[in-house]
Amino acid sequence: MATVSLEQVNKVYPNGFHAVHDLSLDIADGEFMVLVGPSGCGKTTALRMVAGLEDISSGTLKIGTRTVNDVTPKDRDIAMVFQNYALYPHMTVAENIGFALKLRKMPKTDIEARVKETAEILGLTEWLNRKPGQLSGGQRQRVAMGRAIVREPSVFLMDEPLSNLDAKLRVQMRAEVSRIQRRINVSTIYVTHDQIEAMTMGDRVAVMRAGLLQQCDNPQVLYDHPDNLFVAAFIGSPAMNLYEASVTEGAAAVRVGSQQIDLPASVTTAHSGLAAFAGKRIVLGLRPEHLPASGDARPGPTLTGDVDLVEALGSELMVHFTIDAKRVQAEGAHDPDAEDVAAAGEGVARVDPRAPVKAGERFTFAIDADGMQFFDPETGLAIW
Amino acid sequence: MAAISTTAERTTAAAPPRGRRDANTKKLARIGWGFSAPALLVIAAVTIFPIVYSVIMSVSNVQLSGNGFALNGITGGNYSVLVHAAVWRYAVIFTIVYTLITVIVELVIGTCIALVLERLTAGRGWLMALLLIPWSMITVINAELYGYIYNGTYGVYQYLTGLVGLGHPVILGTPTGAIAGMMVADIWKTTPFVAIIVLAGLVMLPGDVYEAAEMDGASGWTTFWRITLPLLRPTIALAVMFRVLQAFGLFDLPYVLTGGGPGYSTNSLAILGYFAMFKNLDFGPGAAVATSTAALVLLGCLASLRVFRVQVGKENA
Ligand SMILES: Nc1ncnc2c1ncn2[C@@H]1O[C@H](COP(=O)(O)OP(=O)(O)OP(=O)(O)O)[C@@H](O)[C@H]1O
Ligand SMILES: [Mg+2]
Repeated sequence: MATVSLEQVNKVYPNGFHAVHDLSLDIADGEFMVLVGPSGCGKTTALRMVAGLEDISSGTLKIGTRTVNDVTPKDRDIAMVFQNYALYPHMTVAENIGFALKLRKMPKTDIEARVKETAEILGLTEWLNRKPGQLSGGQRQRVAMGRAIVREPSVFLMDEPLSNLDAKLRVQMRAEVSRIQRRINVSTIYVTHDQIEAMTMGDRVAVMRAGLLQQCDNPQVLYDHPDNLFVAAFIGSPAMNLYEASVTEGAAAVRVGSQQIDLPASVTTAHSGLAAFAGKRIVLGLRPEHLPASGDARPGPTLTGDVDLVEALGSELMVHFTIDAKRVQAEGAHDPDAEDVAAAGEGVARVDPRAPVKAGERFTFAIDADGMQFFDPETGLAIW
Repeated sequence: MAAISTTAERTTAAAPPRGRRDANTKKLARIGWGFSAPALLVIAAVTIFPIVYSVIMSVSNVQLSGNGFALNGITGGNYSVLVHAAVWRYAVIFTIVYTLITVIVELVIGTCIALVLERLTAGRGWLMALLLIPWSMITVINAELYGYIYNGTYGVYQYLTGLVGLGHPVILGTPTGAIAGMMVADIWKTTPFVAIIVLAGLVMLPGDVYEAAEMDGASGWTTFWRITLPLLRPTIALAVMFRVLQAFGLFDLPYVLTGGGPGYSTNSLAILGYFAMFKNLDFGPGAAVATSTAALVLLGCLASLRVFRVQVGKENA
């Protein structure tokens, strides 16, 4: 077990492409760190630099207290699970798992014992004598995990290990991987482009975009206090509703389209930075759950929109609505795999199932004011 | 964990119903046969007929007459002539040993060349083109070329050995020299072929498997023996098959370079069969040579498949 720390790490590919910019991350002992971001943002590149499969252009990589920039992969004591598993096709499951131990010249009986133990943790015992070609995707994925954990490395790296599985199996394996990681308690860097995977699995989540680290914190902080528009739009499903808005003179209210939302004192004190934006444009962010009920039922600020579609989920209503303000898209934050929930309207609210909301009618939503987020439209940074 | 096991079982359980598909397949097959029949007939006439005819000839009494020959009843005599002839026994051993040595050497050198080529980033295309020159050369021309190199009076080899003070040995004058010289000519010509096939196999190997091996701590040497070679097995088996088939039919190189000599030291089975049939007009024994060679080739191929444990359609098993 060990800590991993990246200090100002850069990657410039031989063709001149600058894939990772000044990445600084500290992974604590036993921590599950998730690297998340849209396709092409440099997650795999960062991971491969930690693994030693890719040279570090500049910066320092430390495992424990040792600087390992120029250490070969096999001497870094790292195990990696590849996206396509990269199992040895000509070896049985047992041989695949035991290969690293065999290379270390471990006695045969010890190898067998370790392989057996690992196979039990992963539920692979029945398949030990099969070749990878005869296994299902989920089983192969577990063999790849087995090959990594049997070595008892000080760091685990996983590059989208679940992306080749079908949706149901992915959810199962998500829990499984978390369980195994907690059980063996090895520092882990896990790459995914799926923000739900990131939120559910990570002790901390590092959000990347175009080679730049946007924010790194525990999932709840990312969700509640995104540092910028990109993180706000990327994290959360359905995504945060983001509108072009402006702050009134005196900074006591914001205008969204033709509506004015008065800000309670709690909001103006929490976001004291808003004062500087008096009379200027901002971006207003409202998560669907911060529009929880009918505005008639609660005092405080409200938002009125035309309801396009109501999806009854039993526990809540997913209400798609349109207002006369322009929706803001954070470039690249939209997950192409996710269902496009915003497509039906310009906003989504998660409303109490008893609220009298009907498609085709106007409806006034109560705003949970403490959930409001504000961003500078120029820099994208959150306003506090 | 239990839930995961059930999903796994489900994937193996269901098999599609087959009845209807079979009826359709049969109909399609009938149409297919109909369309291929003319071509098959032509192929039968030009290949299968001669093969069958020479097998029949090999077990017949062949009598020469003024305007050709006639088959006069069945006999095992042709084969007994072979078995009792030292020339035939020698040719069998010679062909087998020749095949073994050349194929093994070509395989080793070819694989090395392929490994080097695979590493190259620049100039691979040019080198491959250069490499293919010997292979693209017609065997007879290759044989003439080596005939010139080995020539006893003005040959290049003579000149070189003279330069380093080894005198002027006549390579093709002794059996060992002639056999070795012929092998060199053969290896020079066909190694590129093996190299290209192995290279094709190499570039198909999955890159991430190598990275996994690197992470697992495998050295370059270990990676080669434990990963590359096993994964190349089907490719190498294919190259060996091609080469064994070709080497067993060894004819044009000795025919041009040594004429089967000195003595009968470079008499391959094909040369022997040819001399028997068309020089000595021993049609029966000649056909027996051809037939027994075919049987040997078949055995050789089966043996090499066995060695590489490759079965058609089962490479991944
Ligand atoms: N060998 C290379 N040479 C040049 N550019 C590269 C190379 N490998 C990757 N890149 C570029 O670097 C950027 C980051 O690639 P990387 O594979 O790290 O993305 P990623 O975040 O893992 O994306 P994905 O989610 O699609 O796997 C991409 O724009 C890619 O085009
Ligand atoms: Mg990637």
